[in-house]
Amino acid sequence: MAETDREWLAKLEAQSRAKQEAFMNGIAQRLKRPRVTEAPAHPFRGAPDFWNAFEWTPEERIERFSDNWRSVGGHVARLAGYEDVRSFIAAKANEMGARYIIRQNERELADLKLEEALPDAVVSVWNSDPDTNWKARSAEADFGIVMADYAAAYTGTVAVLSSKDKGRSVSLLPTVLMIVIPAERIRTRLGEVLIGFDRAGRENLPAGIHFISGPSRSSDIENDLTIGVHGPGIVYALVVG
Amino acid sequence: MSKTLTKPNTVKARAELALNDEFLRKAVKFTTERLRNGKKNASAEHGNWDEWRERGRQIRLHTIAHLDYYLNMFVNNARANGVHVHFAETGAEAVRIALEIAKHKQAKTVVKSKSMVSEELHLNHALEEIGVEAIETDLGEYIIQLAGETPSHIVIPAIHKNRHQIAELLSEVAGEKLAADTTVLAGFVRKKLRENFLEADIGMTGCNFAIAETGSMVLFENEGNARMVTTLPKTQITLMGMERIIPSFQDLEVMATLLPRSATGQKLTMYMSCITGPRREADADGPDEMHIIIVDNGRSLQLGDPEFQELLNCIRCGACLNACPVYRHIGGHAYGGTYSGPIGAVLTPALNKNVAEWDDIANASSLCGACYEACPVKIPLHEMLIYLRRRKVESGYGNKLESAGMKGFASIMRSAKRYRAALGVGKLGQKLVVRGGSIRTKLGPLKGWNAYRVTPSLPKTSFRQRFAALDEEIRQGLNEMSPEMRSRMERIVKQREQGKGGHGHG
Amino acid sequence: MKVSMFITCLSDALFPRVGEAMVRVLAKYGVRLDFPEIQTCCGQPAFNSGYWEEARASARTILDAFEESDFVIAPSGSCIGMIHHYPKLFENDPVQLERSRRLQGKSYEFTQFLVQVLGVTDVGAEFPHKVTYHPSCHGSRLLGVKDEPMELMKNVKGLEFVPLPFAEDCCGFGGTFAVKMADISGAMVAEKADHVKETEAEVLVGLDMACLMNIAGHLRYRNEPVRVMHLAELLAEGANLL
Repeated sequence: MAETDREWLAKLEAQSRAKQEAFMNGIAQRLKRPRVTEAPAHPFRGAPDFWNAFEWTPEERIERFSDNWRSVGGHVARLAGYEDVRSFIAAKANEMGARYIIRQNERELADLKLEEALPDAVVSVWNSDPDTNWKARSAEADFGIVMADYAAAYTGTVAVLSSKDKGRSVSLLPTVLMIVIPAERIRTRLGEVLIGFDRAGRENLPAGIHFISGPSRSSDIENDLTIGVHGPGIVYALVVG
Repeated sequence: MSKTLTKPNTVKARAELALNDEFLRKAVKFTTERLRNGKKNASAEHGNWDEWRERGRQIRLHTIAHLDYYLNMFVNNARANGVHVHFAETGAEAVRIALEIAKHKQAKTVVKSKSMVSEELHLNHALEEIGVEAIETDLGEYIIQLAGETPSHIVIPAIHKNRHQIAELLSEVAGEKLAADTTVLAGFVRKKLRENFLEADIGMTGCNFAIAETGSMVLFENEGNARMVTTLPKTQITLMGMERIIPSFQDLEVMATLLPRSATGQKLTMYMSCITGPRREADADGPDEMHIIIVDNGRSLQLGDPEFQELLNCIRCGACLNACPVYRHIGGHAYGGTYSGPIGAVLTPALNKNVAEWDDIANASSLCGACYEACPVKIPLHEMLIYLRRRKVESGYGNKLESAGMKGFASIMRSAKRYRAALGVGKLGQKLVVRGGSIRTKLGPLKGWNAYRVTPSLPKTSFRQRFAALDEEIRQGLNEMSPEMRSRMERIVKQREQGKGGHGHG
Repeated sequence: MKVSMFITCLSDALFPRVGEAMVRVLAKYGVRLDFPEIQTCCGQPAFNSGYWEEARASARTILDAFEESDFVIAPSGSCIGMIHHYPKLFENDPVQLERSRRLQGKSYEFTQFLVQVLGVTDVGAEFPHKVTYHPSCHGSRLLGVKDEPMELMKNVKGLEFVPLPFAEDCCGFGGTFAVKMADISGAMVAEKADHVKETEAEVLVGLDMACLMNIAGHLRYRNEPVRVMHLAELLAEGANLL
């Protein structure tokens, strides 16, 4: 007697909702007070005040971001404009013999016209047609190219958000990852990026917000550091501007 | 589970095994030192560490104190995002729900990223029993899964294995001999697990933090496997301890500052993923269906208990393991449960309300307090261990011999007269065992102590026996106290009386 | 002003010389320690093992002994640390709870008293030896005693200070832990002794006789000639008071 997916999920939800009240009441009971239904005062929300005042100049941010990125085995290139981004990526692709490239469907990346710069390579654009298995396409790719939506210098981190045009797989599956970072997007503190998501509110968040701080790594074998375990082992941060 | 035939069932016996395993001790020592130094350097470099710790503590205390509010908010928001939320009071319930989902999806394989909760539930075993292959994808977890063992450290699960053992395990999977070289071995695992990631039906994760205000879940990792299991399979199941909540993304900044530095000394893990619901309609990757199973399994027992509620602050960083001198010598398996080290010594009994089942794990500590000093959210583990010991005694499960000894202790120490008499008896009695001013006998209560030490003998006269003569001598030649010193002391007494001074903890 | 000696059962029975050293050093500054005889033991062994009824029986002698004192001084960070636990131990007894709080406010580890209360950092001692120092866990972590012994040692003429590697690691005593988990304790004290040997110091000094007895016991077992002493003894000897 196979239920359809929908019926089954609906049944589970009904069970869950019934349990929810009991669960929360149980918590209140153990805490020996009635249920809290209004937002409690949260005086220690977020980082300490002195931290929120901390800021680097734009040039310092670029420098520190680069230092941090390099210190974990990532590569950084400081490029004047998108023309240089194009040449840089093309040169690396030729150097490494990259044949399969996948990029996010973003305007800045489209403008790079990589198909022309690399006529012998196959350049795929994420989710540009409904019949391709895009996950598999990313898995086959030598290069993945994305724009950083946000960046934070203090930890050397970029943030990429998922969408119809921006696949999580593009920054995860290819062997080499190229992240294009417009310099003005680099903030000092991680908190400056995070607070944006609080302000945006639940309905405006994408399914995946991924913070990346360097290449994939592990020290699980005899404490010996190895790079590129599951995610990309070679990561380039291309700071533009 | 280990494949050994007979497993010792006391902490002491397991510790003995560990102490005799040279490689294990070296490996644990090296790892904990590396991580401990990493943490020290990272926290010093960041600065104001104690302020950040206090902040983290306050955020966690606040959330737990209002857990009904924040957890409820999380659940409602997660549902609004399209997540299917389930509640499991017991471990068995959580397993039942997970199996039901797997069955309904007709899943053949599940790829898992690190989840201590799933270890707690022995979930892999349950999945295997219904014919679902559960594959660990964290490199260390994958290795110990192949070996059929449990993790020996919260953050680096396979530190007890050397590269040759690992090469042997992986070679069997590869069907060819792999060199005992880290790059080669990791390269093989990358290739092999890729196939699993792309083909698996279900991706299963733990949960580092859950953000109440948006219904998002957060995962910290370095390898990329958690991203894999939340991006590629069609169905995602997340196991979440009910206490993993924080209110907002702003609060996440504090946790993101404390956790990686405390665990390994990193500024941030290579990947930190904030997942808000299953994929959107138009997205071309991410799961179609997402489930979160909220697990109690003894956690709610700590609520309302002033001695243990703070235990729920824990962010599972492992800093206490790296600081603990006992852990350093015996490694994780000696603790006998899912969680090891100081946090394990407290958590394992605390989650189990049946005191009769508690073993001697709370005794595997010299109460040095290094764990408390290391904890980024200031959990007083060293005090909780004493409370556990007291509860065991008060429930009538104290060691009979020890109880008798303590009764003897109390009957002597309750009065100075009896204490003096006992000293006298001791001085007489020790004549039997003192040789050349020292006691080396390994009989009776001295067996354990004198296995490693030489005990001094009791001096002829105690301090209190000497005091009268000493005081007389002092009184005669006593210097006059300087007036500055006297007024200093008087000032301190005065401040104390006014409630301003007083001498608390450092 | 009543300044009282809390000798601790361990030093009373096994290391009376430490008590004597304290008395003499303090006498130099005109502090005449009195010794309330009804004190027995702070109760820590019972408390740590979870036997709180028994711990209270012992602790009451301490509360009684120092009722009238203005300052209570002990040659041990862990015993003073135990006094800090008295409010918890007596939390269900309002009278003893009040007395516990008061006692906590006036109790000091020896070097804390010397430096913080008397303002003394130089006792005029000379001790021309290579010395290393083990900071006991309770004293350093729970009472925050870190700078005081260092300042005192810095001002001892001729003292060559060698830092102990991994000094903050526990020596493995932990009271009944050393007996109940003898092998783990043995491993910990062996490691501590190894570090002491590494320094090539002639003298190991500390603030807690429990730790020192533990480490010395193992050093003896290995026939190591390192002299182990309490800082009070070192200062008293160095100032020709002992």
